[in-house]
Amino acid sequence: MPLFDDEFRKKLEYLSIISKRVFAGHFRAERRATRRGTGVEFADYRQYVPGDDFRHLDWKAYLRLNKLILRLFEEEEDLPIYFFIDASQSMTYGNPVKLDYARRVAAALAYIGLANLDRAYMTAYAEKIRAELPPQRGKGRIFKVFRFLEELVPGGETNARESFKTYCTEARRRGLAVVISDFMDPAGFQSGLDILRHFRHDIFVIHVASHEEIEPVLKGELVLVDSESNVSREITVTPALLSDYRTEFKHFCDEFEEYCSKYQLGYIRTATDYPFEDLVLKVFRQGRFLK
Amino acid sequence: MKFFALSSFTAILLAVLTTLALVAMYFLKLRHRRMMIASSMLWSRVLARQEERSLWEKLRRILSIIFVVIIGLLMVFAIARPEIDGLTGSTGRTLIVLDSSPSMSTRMSDGRTRWQHAVDTASTIVDSSGFGSEFRIADTSGQYDSPYMNGKDEAKQAIRTLRPIAATPRFPETDDSDTHIYFISDGVAIPQVPESARKFITYDAARNFAITAFEVRPIVSAPLQYEAYLEVTNFGNDARRTTINISEGGQGHIRREVEIQPRQSYRETLDLSPFEGGGIRATIQTDGDALATDDVAYSYLPVKKKTKVMLVTKGNAYLQTALKLDSFVDVSIVDPKDYREDPITDAYVFDDFAPAAQPSKPALIVGIGNGTQSVSWLPRPTGIVEKPSFTAWQDDHPVMKYLSLHDVSIAKATTIAPTSMSVLATSGETPLIVASPASAAAARWVLLTFSLQESDFPVHESFPLFVDNALAWFGREHPALRRTTGIVEVPIINAQITGPDGKALASRGYLDRTVFEAREPGLYVATKDGLRQYVAVNLMSRQYSNVNHPALNWGSEIKPAARILKHEVWFYLLFLAVILLGVEWFTYHRRITL
Repeated sequence: MPLFDDEFRKKLEYLSIISKRVFAGHFRAERRATRRGTGVEFADYRQYVPGDDFRHLDWKAYLRLNKLILRLFEEEEDLPIYFFIDASQSMTYGNPVKLDYARRVAAALAYIGLANLDRAYMTAYAEKIRAELPPQRGKGRIFKVFRFLEELVPGGETNARESFKTYCTEARRRGLAVVISDFMDPAGFQSGLDILRHFRHDIFVIHVASHEEIEPVLKGELVLVDSESNVSREITVTPALLSDYRTEFKHFCDEFEEYCSKYQLGYIRTATDYPFEDLVLKVFRQGRFLK
Repeated sequence: MKFFALSSFTAILLAVLTTLALVAMYFLKLRHRRMMIASSMLWSRVLARQEERSLWEKLRRILSIIFVVIIGLLMVFAIARPEIDGLTGSTGRTLIVLDSSPSMSTRMSDGRTRWQHAVDTASTIVDSSGFGSEFRIADTSGQYDSPYMNGKDEAKQAIRTLRPIAATPRFPETDDSDTHIYFISDGVAIPQVPESARKFITYDAARNFAITAFEVRPIVSAPLQYEAYLEVTNFGNDARRTTINISEGGQGHIRREVEIQPRQSYRETLDLSPFEGGGIRATIQTDGDALATDDVAYSYLPVKKKTKVMLVTKGNAYLQTALKLDSFVDVSIVDPKDYREDPITDAYVFDDFAPAAQPSKPALIVGIGNGTQSVSWLPRPTGIVEKPSFTAWQDDHPVMKYLSLHDVSIAKATTIAPTSMSVLATSGETPLIVASPASAAAARWVLLTFSLQESDFPVHESFPLFVDNALAWFGREHPALRRTTGIVEVPIINAQITGPDGKALASRGYLDRTVFEAREPGLYVATKDGLRQYVAVNLMSRQYSNVNHPALNWGSEIKPAARILKHEVWFYLLFLAVILLGVEWFTYHRRITL
């Protein structure tokens, strides 16, 4: 079954309409930049200095005050949205596969962003940046996004810190960083996010977990093999051990949430069997994605 | 520890192999299934935390092995049927000897007899013995000595069949195969006990008054008159009053109330002239008397009646004189031609005469000559022997008792055909005095093969004694034989024994006596060929009645130690194994031990 079929596209359109209706007035395309620029919304006055565009002189003020006053307008600028999609080997597990789920969510959010004339940067990472799509703008570019996402080849160990570091050290505008991952990073979930925070991006975390990770159905004597590192470990799965695992998973999620809350990061945890459109709506309700 | 089902070596070998096999199996685990997971990050944290958690977690695996090995060993040892002396009692051939002397019937302060306590002790010994034990039960009377038996119930049943009985105490023969020997006694009549025997005592001091002598005897100076000698002894430690009663079935009754000092006896000879005859019973009644068996004594007073004798003779001064002088005889003299049976006659004396038909009453036939030749019920004469002399006689026969016939001269005697009869005296091979055989159904008779006129026998002192013996043997009542309770011997062959309650008792006949067991005091009757012999069976023994003894330095014990475990060890091992299996199963499924 194709990842982005007609059904998926219909859902995207629906989400786009819903987003405009429910969150009218919060569209990012109308986001006022802190810079004054060439927009239509009046922002302020200042003294004219040579070199200024005299088209913005306020002649009425000149008649009253006999001074050359320059009218300033807020510059309307698009917001860069950086989508970081975890394409490590661990994302290939789960039913549905976590990566597929991540791709759908990323596609949906990217579509909404493009529809609102934001620039969407699509990046796939694992131990490093594995693939990158140049910034796209406008709804018509969604197919490029689809293609990019469809062509992602998963593999490698997760190293978010190294990947984000590499990505962010290149000259980038600050923007909204949407990280879609299972965050099974041996270095810890904080390591990558700390980098994004350091570069002052507005961060939105979508924590994708498969049902098998949340409620593992394991039994008996097993050799667990880590899909990324291939490290194996013999265990005897007991109810107590499963209970301990569930506690550990909850602890991991709680810790993650606490981290996000502390640094005011948007955080949503989802299971792969959760409908992605509902998840996107949930993202909208959080209000962080659409300002 | 012993093993019944396996040898010690086999059991230990099996235990070692089982342990090795279980431990090996424990390490031979199933191949683990490989399972790829997205990331082992969280699992690693969980496992690391588990390993750090506690010593218990670290020891869990070894605990599980220990569990399984213990279960395996319990099963192996259960199969081997072990026995541990400290838990299930010692095993072996066990001889339990109960002191069956009459003093064991003494009642103790708790109301139960020493014997009942001894039976309990013996049963406890049986119960506390190991399960593979064999038991031999015996008493000190020598009357009971069982073969070795395996079953405890059987052994206890054997113990219950024993009773105190008067007999010379003797310890049963033991041999090396008797691993354990137990002797239970009150310490009163102790036989020679082997050193290896463990002794248990059932004793406390008791009061006892006992009739230690009670004898009915004729008064020598007064024919058919009897007196009774009575002795009552206080075996207790304080002076007490006792009431003595002597009574019979008729009017006779004597009562005395006396106080007897400790360890002293009251003795009295009692005139029985008011008594009519028959069984006599002496009893004593004392407060707090612990032993009842010796509080009663029986005897027999012969009925005072003369024997009516018909002397059939043409004239015999010796016989007439001897019979008339016998104070027990009422004689009537009849000529042979006038002879006919008289129903009131108790016995006949035929002098040189014998009727054609045997009389219904016993008869003494003196001389076998012309008058007796055609008599079929007597031995047939075959000839004459000149000057025979008594060379041998059965002095144990009632007729020949106390007789001396050495110097009796006989001119001639008649030889007789050897038919069925008892030969009482002979001259060489020639019978001189014969009697009806012991098994004869008809009335008794005694025959002299010589005439009184042709011998000097009538002038010997043995002659009146012989006549009296013969008449007494014919049916005169005798004083009772005196015997002690227990095994009683009566010098009558194959006598039928009747107990005090009139019921026949089992008896054994020997060559010269009949033996039976008299458990209770009483007047027993031995009957043979219409002859009744009373046997007064009484305890009457100072040895048995002296139920107290000084402080006994005997190394005895009061109670055998009961074993800890009620069932065989294998039962508990298996039970424990099942419990542990259940625990292991439960904890396994809850993943506590794995």
